[in-house]
Amino acid sequence: MSTSTNILDIKNIEVTYDNVILALHDVSLKVPKGKVVALLGANGAGKSTTLKAVSTMLASERGKVTKGTIEYDGTLIEKQNPSQMVGLGMVQVLEGRRCFGHLTVEENIIAGAYSRKLSKGDINQELEKIYTYFIRLKERRKSQAAFTSGGEQQMIAVARAMMAKPKMLLLDEPTMGLAPQLVAEIFNIVKELNTKEGVSILLAEQNTNVALKNSDYGYIIETGRVMLDGTAKSLLSNDQVKELYLGISKKGRKNFRDVLKEESLTKKKIN
Amino acid sequence: MVEELLFFMEVLVGGLLAGTMYSLVALGFVLIFKASATFNFSQGAMVFFSVLAFCGFMQDFNIPFVLAFILAALLMVVVGLCTERFVLRPLMNASEDTVLMATIGLGYVLEGLAQAAWGVEVRRLDLGIGDFPVPWIADNLKLFISALDITAGLVAAIMIIGLFLLFKYTKIGLGLRAVADDAGAASSIGIPLKHIMLLVWSAAGVVALVAGCMWGARAGVQFALVDLALKALPVLIIGGFSSIPGAIIGGLIIGAVEKVLEVYIGPFFGGAIEGWAPYVLAIFFLLYRPEGLFGEKIIRRV
Repeated sequence: MSTSTNILDIKNIEVTYDNVILALHDVSLKVPKGKVVALLGANGAGKSTTLKAVSTMLASERGKVTKGTIEYDGTLIEKQNPSQMVGLGMVQVLEGRRCFGHLTVEENIIAGAYSRKLSKGDINQELEKIYTYFIRLKERRKSQAAFTSGGEQQMIAVARAMMAKPKMLLLDEPTMGLAPQLVAEIFNIVKELNTKEGVSILLAEQNTNVALKNSDYGYIIETGRVMLDGTAKSLLSNDQVKELYLGISKKGRKNFRDVLKEESLTKKKIN
Repeated sequence: MVEELLFFMEVLVGGLLAGTMYSLVALGFVLIFKASATFNFSQGAMVFFSVLAFCGFMQDFNIPFVLAFILAALLMVVVGLCTERFVLRPLMNASEDTVLMATIGLGYVLEGLAQAAWGVEVRRLDLGIGDFPVPWIADNLKLFISALDITAGLVAAIMIIGLFLLFKYTKIGLGLRAVADDAGAASSIGIPLKHIMLLVWSAAGVVALVAGCMWGARAGVQFALVDLALKALPVLIIGGFSSIPGAIIGGLIIGAVEKVLEVYIGPFFGGAIEGWAPYVLAIFFLLYRPEGLFGEKIIRRV
């Protein structure tokens, strides 16, 4: 089964919350093994919903995949629960970091290994390996997580996820609210994990520029639909992406729907 | 003067030790509050249910003391298992208020089951420890302190140390603390919520059994135990809902304060202020320190 080169293959999924609210209309995307794929879009576009559909965290928010299929590493994702997904090597880093505030930094990271049956010695070994990527966290290992900075908390969240030894990480807005320097630091770590540990990554971001510079491929979604996709390079040089997402705009068009409307208007005029 | 001081000491120590019995009941509440952020209204019923089953095993089936205790403890694990499967799991995504209401319902079910299975009459529970002053202490320190109070104090101390070690140093303890902080994040890294729920409900059940034994030995095993357990509410308001040390200290404070007030101020009110004095104290805490003495403050980074 898993001979395909894609670790994740989402086909035409539709997601509804509470059986009424349609959050995703038709989203298809692929993540090739060992690659970084960016999922871009504004607030409410459906980035988080897509990630949660994959990690099966949707159920806890009364969301449901009502159409389409999700195939991960040769397995169809249907009735699995989040802890089964972690067992299969898929871990989501939730939006807003979500550290265990009353636990120390180190306890937070160790909690990430909960799903694995490891001895104390193995855990320490894994911990040391993780600290080589997150040097800052080693210095702060005994601090209570709630008192660390936003950047450190994001690192804790990623380090914690890495302790589960994932084949694939889903990162939901890892740079939200961080200073540019920290954004760069986080992305460096993510790239390093990708190349050295071979973890495939699906990354939801609003920070289009930085995300594309650190990804192999990108998808742009708006109101629950994929509007455009392509290699990161092609998207970075795409005029419409430049205009709509990189802020190099002249005409005041804000999204792809506006663009499509204008195009259909001009077509009508020509006809 | 010396005699007055001795009398005060006696009241205070008696109150503190009696307070450990409140602590024991409050402990059960804290366990569940930590994991599901819900005040478990069925805790009183669990106390009643467990100790009645314990008495039933001993008195109706002539099962020896230790075995009966183990059976009752196992029964409470089964209750925890059923609660997780039939009450909590279906309400997984429901609001905390819904779960709270469910615990009230669960309480009625447990009360009914207990009485259907073991009858409604008051049972005597003999732990082999008398509720009378220990002669040695009475002779040497001139203090009249009940052997049952001292036992309750010791048992409470052992349970607390045990729970502390469980939470601080075991894997499942770490899981529990993680769930207590952020259940969503815990499940995102593969901590199975149902295992944690099962653990806390079983632990709360066993704690309820121990508390029930202590109370039952003093007041008889009867329906009133359900209401007695509600004394844990002021204990928790003072100690903090999510803190195990808080439950202990809160219990001690309530025990000591209510006894001292009863003896020294009670006569001015015509006595029996024990019943409501703790709630007055609780109101002061709600006004001036709502998180309690040891409750986890909401940590906000500045």
